[in-house]
Amino acid sequence: MYTNYLSWLLLAPILLSLAAFSARWAGKLAMRVAEVLHFITILVVLILGLLVIQGVLVEGSVVALNDWLHVDALAAVFLLIVCVVGFLVGIYSIGYIRNDVRTGELQADQVSTYYGLFDLFLFTMVLVVTANNIIMMWVAIEATTLGSTFLVGIYGHRSSLEAAWKYVIICTVGVAFALYGTVLVYSDAVNFLQRPEAAVLWTEIVKNARALDPTLLKLAFVFILIGFGTKAGIFPMHAWLPDAHSEAPSPVSALLSGVLLNCALLVIIRFAIILEQGIGPEFPQMIFLIFGSLSVVAAALFIFVQRDIKRLLAYSSVENIGLIVLAFGIGGPAGILAALLHTINHSLVKALMFCTSGNILVKYHTRDLSKIKGMLQVAPFTSFVLLVGTLALIGSPPFNIFISKFSIFSAGFFSGFPLLMVVLLLFLAIVFAAFMKMASSAVFGSLPENITKGDVRISMLAPIAVLVILVLALGLYLPPQISMLLNQAALISIHGNAAADASISLLNFSNSELPIAFLQFAQLFGR
Amino acid sequence: MTGLIIASILAPFLGGLLVLVIPRAWIKLFSQAVALAAAACSLLLLISFASAGKTPATVNLISLGNTVVFGLVIDRLSVLIGLAFILVGFLIVVYSTGYLSDKNREHPEKEVERRYYFFLLCFIGSMAGVVYASTMLGMLIFFELTGVCSWGLIGYYDNEKARKAALKAIIVTQAASIGLYAATAYFFAVTRSLQLSEMAGLTESAKTVIFLGVLIAGFGKSAQLPFHFWLPDAMVAPTPISAYLHAASMVKVGVYIFARCLGSANGAPKIIGVIGCVCAIATMIYGFIMYFPQKDLKKLLAYSTIAQLSYIFFALSLSVFGSTLAFNGAVAHIFNHAFAKGLFFLVAGALSYTTGTRMLPSLRGVLAKMPLVGASFAVAALAVTGVPPFNCFFSKFTIFAGGFEAAKTEPLLLILVIIAMFESIGSFAWLFWIFSSTVPGEPSEEVASATALAPSMQAVLIALAGLTLVSGFFAANWIG
Amino acid sequence: MFGFNLINTLSGLLIITSLIVIETRSLRRSAYYYAVQSIVLVLIFLTLAVTTGQKQLFLWAASALVTKAILTPYILLRGEDRVASAAPPPQAVRPALAIVLAAISVVVSFVVINQLDLKIANEYKPALAVSVAHFFFGQLCILTQRNILKQILGFCLMENGSHLTLALLAYSAPELVEIGIATDAIFGVLIMTILAVQIYRKLDTLDAASLTSLKG
Repeated sequence: MYTNYLSWLLLAPILLSLAAFSARWAGKLAMRVAEVLHFITILVVLILGLLVIQGVLVEGSVVALNDWLHVDALAAVFLLIVCVVGFLVGIYSIGYIRNDVRTGELQADQVSTYYGLFDLFLFTMVLVVTANNIIMMWVAIEATTLGSTFLVGIYGHRSSLEAAWKYVIICTVGVAFALYGTVLVYSDAVNFLQRPEAAVLWTEIVKNARALDPTLLKLAFVFILIGFGTKAGIFPMHAWLPDAHSEAPSPVSALLSGVLLNCALLVIIRFAIILEQGIGPEFPQMIFLIFGSLSVVAAALFIFVQRDIKRLLAYSSVENIGLIVLAFGIGGPAGILAALLHTINHSLVKALMFCTSGNILVKYHTRDLSKIKGMLQVAPFTSFVLLVGTLALIGSPPFNIFISKFSIFSAGFFSGFPLLMVVLLLFLAIVFAAFMKMASSAVFGSLPENITKGDVRISMLAPIAVLVILVLALGLYLPPQISMLLNQAALISIHGNAAADASISLLNFSNSELPIAFLQFAQLFGR
Repeated sequence: MTGLIIASILAPFLGGLLVLVIPRAWIKLFSQAVALAAAACSLLLLISFASAGKTPATVNLISLGNTVVFGLVIDRLSVLIGLAFILVGFLIVVYSTGYLSDKNREHPEKEVERRYYFFLLCFIGSMAGVVYASTMLGMLIFFELTGVCSWGLIGYYDNEKARKAALKAIIVTQAASIGLYAATAYFFAVTRSLQLSEMAGLTESAKTVIFLGVLIAGFGKSAQLPFHFWLPDAMVAPTPISAYLHAASMVKVGVYIFARCLGSANGAPKIIGVIGCVCAIATMIYGFIMYFPQKDLKKLLAYSTIAQLSYIFFALSLSVFGSTLAFNGAVAHIFNHAFAKGLFFLVAGALSYTTGTRMLPSLRGVLAKMPLVGASFAVAALAVTGVPPFNCFFSKFTIFAGGFEAAKTEPLLLILVIIAMFESIGSFAWLFWIFSSTVPGEPSEEVASATALAPSMQAVLIALAGLTLVSGFFAANWIG
Repeated sequence: MFGFNLINTLSGLLIITSLIVIETRSLRRSAYYYAVQSIVLVLIFLTLAVTTGQKQLFLWAASALVTKAILTPYILLRGEDRVASAAPPPQAVRPALAIVLAAISVVVSFVVINQLDLKIANEYKPALAVSVAHFFFGQLCILTQRNILKQILGFCLMENGSHLTLALLAYSAPELVEIGIATDAIFGVLIMTILAVQIYRKLDTLDAASLTSLKG
């Protein structure tokens, strides 16, 4: 049953996106038809995605198409992000694009293209997280680039075309490196896995990882990290990210930052698991620590000088991806759990922030922070969510990122990196300062001229409101389903597969690893 | 008793949220009721704690396996300080309802602003949370929340200066809060627990690390060198807010967490005492020097706060050298200073409310025109400088006695104690001079044209002046 | 044995053709040379298929013929038609330097590949090294050319390199994998070409150096 859901999870969006493309021939109704098809797509992806996740909770994993698709708990965590954020941002898109059409920013006939691309992009990301075939993972990542290039450049301005060009060139070149890594792993695996069909499967490779050649594995991992790291926005391969995030329509930025980066990260994690099973965790962890810390430090410095709200948010994504990578580098159940939780939290908050920045753009027609002022008088609700989002993003309680950030840092102290943690905290203080400055100058202050008062339409506020609720709720309460998924996903990261006994709780993992206990504290509010 | 504490933490938060939605006309009354309820809870707590024989206890509210994530601590320290913070908070709310009105000559307000009461009530709740928290994490969470609330309030007037000051306040204190953040994470990593009571069993080196973190965070919040510069700028806040920031919230968080950790750890490594003493004396001297150029009454008071807090830090650091007396003096000083400084600021607020200025040169003859304000000015000035029979005299006296006690084991400390005494005398002389040129005499032009003070503000001034008289005796009895 | 030698020789031919592709000034001719190169690639696939007896490599050859020798050049030429009036932007790096860099990448590739112990490909290590070098040629082309259409050709060269690596190391992989990669490649070229034409229409230039409005 769940197998069928999984197959449909991939089939449905691609068929529907093709339908949305062809809605352009529906004449005057083109826009409405495309909107309806788009809505059906995101709804179907949400429902099927949640069903598949339920399957993971019940059965441990869901497979389809000869094991080519495989959703375990680790994938389920990311699938959850894809379908929930995809749905909310998708809803937000409808209001946002209508506004663009009203203001003449987009032509009516571009709308069906937009929705077709949006849904195609969603499909490619679902493919990334559900793929079990390592080469298909690469294909899917490459496809995400191709699917989103025109979304980035859809406005056709000089700057957006430039951003799209940089995006496609940097990412295809970068991701090409990853193909080498992937092929190296495959060609090594095929030597001892007699069936070549098995040697492409991640699950099979992980089982036999010890037989892989250590030198080749290390070389492959470096290629993988450069390649998919480009896509994940890890410093110094992040060059495309601020351009693409700032030039794309805001819902697309939200999708890029909240979902796409994580998808690329998932693939890197998959390969890191192979390495950990093959040659032990030291090598990937060292690499993760280095790149994670560098990303945080570099992003903090870039954030400090940003004057463009969306670029600011883009660099914040680099920073947060850096934190997640860092937490994987810290390793151990504590670090990995913290990393996974931060992944979820960051995507929700970043989606919230990019959607909010979209509302600001609608009101102010600029991303220049020196011109965005007095929002409290213009758009009270939007400025309220901007405040909430900013506070959440910088890790203020009671919002969700506080918990995950704190977990990352206590895991770091726990695992013997106190000095590094203190240094990074200093850089996070810079980020904190920059974001508070942004929020206070945007929300308060005197109103510039030529701005009509009144908040944006409800269709652009409702999805944001849901995100605000999620961000707050996850700060206070972690549903047992999610903590079980995280639990299982961490087991996969450490052992290569979810332990045969799914009832093993991380609390019994080892009593000395108590930071984990902390992670679940939020859950207790609900009991 | 647990219920009372939870009520005093949650009531302001819930009230704050409700303020965002209820009709504007109800806001003032509703906020006062909420703050009163919280204050009543903390007072009832004090009474029931005292009648139960003052036996300290911790209540674990949220725990997981062996890890207590959040809990409450009920002891002499938290009950006493909690009462001061919440009670002053309540008085501030009452005063604000008068101050933030169209009759205010310095900053007339047409409409009741929701966000003011929202942030103020949340601020009171966060303060209660910091005080009663029994875990490092609980302290950290509420510590951060106080920063956010103060940011919202300092920037309340929403002009360029206010926004800058608010930003400076939150950035400086949050940068310093990295200390507490790191200390909490480290504490958790070492003890695998979040409960403050675990601190007693730590090794000296672990304690040193944690206390360093706590000290940095405390210095930031309490505006000690080198983090002092946000506090004088924060004067752009509405005066009741300044009063709360200085008397019973923001700056007191820093000294409170230091006191709380010292109490939990059964003393700290000597090095912490040395660092604390030296920094405190440096700040004290700096604050004293900065008295002289100030023309703005509120700025003068800001530097006075910086100096007074360094007294508390000094006393707490002295207690590291084995002086219980100094510790008790510090706690009493937190308590007493809350009322005295609160009163002083509210007097400044009353002056700007009635005369439209708070520049010292244009304020003369206050007593003749406004006897209540003049008298309150006198009480506040005498109390803050530590003149008997006002409250700060008792706590300062205890601190100096503690200093001499500590100096028996560490003779070098004597020098620092003597410097502190000189500062005390000097600041008394200076404030007395300010007082004598402001309060008595013929009313100046501004003072002569003063309008009437709102009744709620008058009531608060009287209440605080009364508390300033009695709190010294009370605190001495309570701790002693 | 003859098969392996032939593969190694043909892959040498790949290097020469790709150098010509990079250095030819006219875009039109570059595209034709690229088609020639793709045919060489197809020949390698065919030889490999015969030598190893792997049936699916015939399929690879066929798909490469369609996508790389026909479709890709066609798309590029169509794109070129639409920007025909554009003045070709100058090269960022002098041809001599580019050739030196190319030589360095070949040497490095050979050294690195020789260090590796790839059990399934030890017989045609030279070809493997060439494929890796070819991949770097593509990057070199992207870095040294300011003409954005030429940069797309660089992407195609990279693709040819990695495709050859794939054929040498992963010929046994399921066909669907190859189809996926080939589809990505052709869509990549298509999308980049459309984008390049859009940029030309908006900016009236094909010079990548003029794409500098976004910074920091």
